[in-house]
Amino acid sequence: MVRRPRSSRRSFLKQSAALAAAGSPLGFPGLALAQPAPVKIAVIHPVTGPLAYSGQLCRLGARIAIDEINAAGGIKALGGAKLEPIYADAPSPQAGTAEVEKANEAGAAAVVGAYASAICLATTQAAAKHSLPHLVDVGVADQIVERGLTNVFRFGPGYRKTTSDAVKYLHTLNTLAGNRAKSVLIVHEESLFGTGTANLLSQELPKLGFEVKEVIKHANPTRDFANIVLRIKTVNPDIVIPANYYNEYALLVRTMRQQGVKPMAIFSVLGGAASSFKFVAEFPDIANGIIDVNHWYNPSSKAAAALRRKVEGMKDQYFTYEVFLNYESVYLLADALERAKSARRDAIIAALASSTWNGHFMPYGPTQFVNGQNAGAEPLTMQVRDKDIKVVLPSHLAQAAPVFPWKG
Amino acid sequence: MGSRAPATGLGRDLAVVAAIATAILLLPLGTQSGAALHAVILTLLATVLGQGWNILGGFGGQFSFGNALFFGVGAYAAAVLQMRLGINAWIALPLAAAAGAAVGALVGALAFRYGLKGSYFALVTLAFAEVFRILANMLPFTGGGVGLMLPLDTRAAAMQFASRVGYLYLIGAFAVAGFLLHVWLRHSRFGAWLVAIRDNEAAAAALGVDAFRVKLAAIVLCGALTATSGLFYVQYLHYIDPNIAFGPAFSVEALLGPIVGGMGTVFGPLVGAIVLHALSESTRNLVADVPGVSLALYGAVLIVMVRYMPGGIMGLLRRR
Repeated sequence: MVRRPRSSRRSFLKQSAALAAAGSPLGFPGLALAQPAPVKIAVIHPVTGPLAYSGQLCRLGARIAIDEINAAGGIKALGGAKLEPIYADAPSPQAGTAEVEKANEAGAAAVVGAYASAICLATTQAAAKHSLPHLVDVGVADQIVERGLTNVFRFGPGYRKTTSDAVKYLHTLNTLAGNRAKSVLIVHEESLFGTGTANLLSQELPKLGFEVKEVIKHANPTRDFANIVLRIKTVNPDIVIPANYYNEYALLVRTMRQQGVKPMAIFSVLGGAASSFKFVAEFPDIANGIIDVNHWYNPSSKAAAALRRKVEGMKDQYFTYEVFLNYESVYLLADALERAKSARRDAIIAALASSTWNGHFMPYGPTQFVNGQNAGAEPLTMQVRDKDIKVVLPSHLAQAAPVFPWKG
Repeated sequence: MGSRAPATGLGRDLAVVAAIATAILLLPLGTQSGAALHAVILTLLATVLGQGWNILGGFGGQFSFGNALFFGVGAYAAAVLQMRLGINAWIALPLAAAAGAAVGALVGALAFRYGLKGSYFALVTLAFAEVFRILANMLPFTGGGVGLMLPLDTRAAAMQFASRVGYLYLIGAFAVAGFLLHVWLRHSRFGAWLVAIRDNEAAAAALGVDAFRVKLAAIVLCGALTATSGLFYVQYLHYIDPNIAFGPAFSVEALLGPIVGGMGTVFGPLVGAIVLHALSESTRNLVADVPGVSLALYGAVLIVMVRYMPGGIMGLLRRR
């Protein structure tokens, strides 16, 4: 037989008082001061498939930023709410759409991603259906921010801006050199990135007096550049402009070196390798002198230098634009959360739309989004010099004077 | 090539198709989850791709390794007709199917006229897909390597829908049309001819079957149905480029579903698509944080399935 405990009004009151005390800050502070709900962020990149290397670097950048923000106390305006990443793999547009849908249902407050333009087009559109704020980390196709989707924000520059700046910088370099270069040859990969870049360059360069002698397209992947380099040798342009991904870029310039093709300059636009410390480390002699117009950080920023040290301290990691653009995109989102004082999607979108964030290390100035594009975003011109990458243009950010033509 | 009197099982097959159509229609009552609807939409897209392949490969025994050719033709036809010629998407639908059929007729006429079979036929289809990929890269009206981006116009009149339910019903309608085509193949004289050619072409020819015409008709049907899946892709994701359209991914997806589900069966492509998508999703969820492991797991399970179920899942069910 089970004895029922004796109960009275007095004992009930005593027990209630004890429980109340236990729930008070003096009783169990951990219970009373419950953690604010974390803010879920979908971090969507192609971490498998052909773009896996870049996608994993993107994820690394976002992960570092999230860890730093959480270690520094989370989002202060939300009572120290932590950022809770939802890491997702999107190797294709349809996979990107699926991951956005899952993130939406998991209660994500925003999306950061998704590296490739074709994937970003799908993820931004899927996010728009749920008014889910979407920070585009890299995706340079201008159509991403030109479709009237109010939930989409891109921190970095797009094609048009990058290519027009590249043309301007090439003209500046040539003018400083006494207009010695007259002709160019463009070698590009066949997808949206390479073809789009080549098309824009082909239109703009003749206006500044450059003859575009030939535009050579190659497939992805291409593992033998011998014929293309023979063609370059025959055409003998003053400048070779590659627009391709890492492997093809490396193979192209290696083959050029093997065949003794030495133009006045290798001038890349959004090059897959010339702004890459990995490329410089792997092929220091070949890389030397190559010029690239690409996403890059303010070289005088101590924060950027600290992040570079942190990334390079990790095993087999390099400080690439994928890393720092994602890192900054997460911080931009954190700033929007601080100002929105809410994890509501409409509040975050409003905060991003009115953002004037200047806490980043990119050379963009305070953020100002016009139809989702950060108006101040611009690329820089770098040159590989003595196993390092130096900013050479614009002059107010330059770490070294450009060497053009290169005496390689 | 007229239809003959229904063979046994016609009523059962039609009942299953009706049940599938009803399930698709009622699905939004069960879930409004965007992720679930998207997963079902992709599964049905893979089903339609698989159905196209199954007509030629499953029923006819002509294995194509390049069905992305028809997928890409349908996708580009839809995008070009809408963007370059201002043709409404609903009118573009039969035109895209006709384009797929025409390309099927071209490939079939060339390949079957010269008696290409087996791996030679497979290589020809692969080569055609590659040729079209290169053409799409070169020709200005396809947008070249930049591709084509369908403008957003979320109206049913433009075959774009604000809700995923609209897309579910659209691809569901394509899949049901594909099932009805399969049911007809299974119970018609034409289907019997096709199966006879698959089993023994010389014997079929000796019995008076015009193998060339039958195979040609099969590849035309395959091209038309697969092209509708390409059109759907463009309407749903709004972007197409040569690598997406004519690359190997959709060629593999087209043949994998029927092989796993059961070649030459009416519902094999659906069963295969469901199993492959479920497998893909579960392996991804299982090891989400370790990139690539899910693909290895997926591949390993696939090898085991193909090894121990040579007749596909439908074959396994039939044996029991």
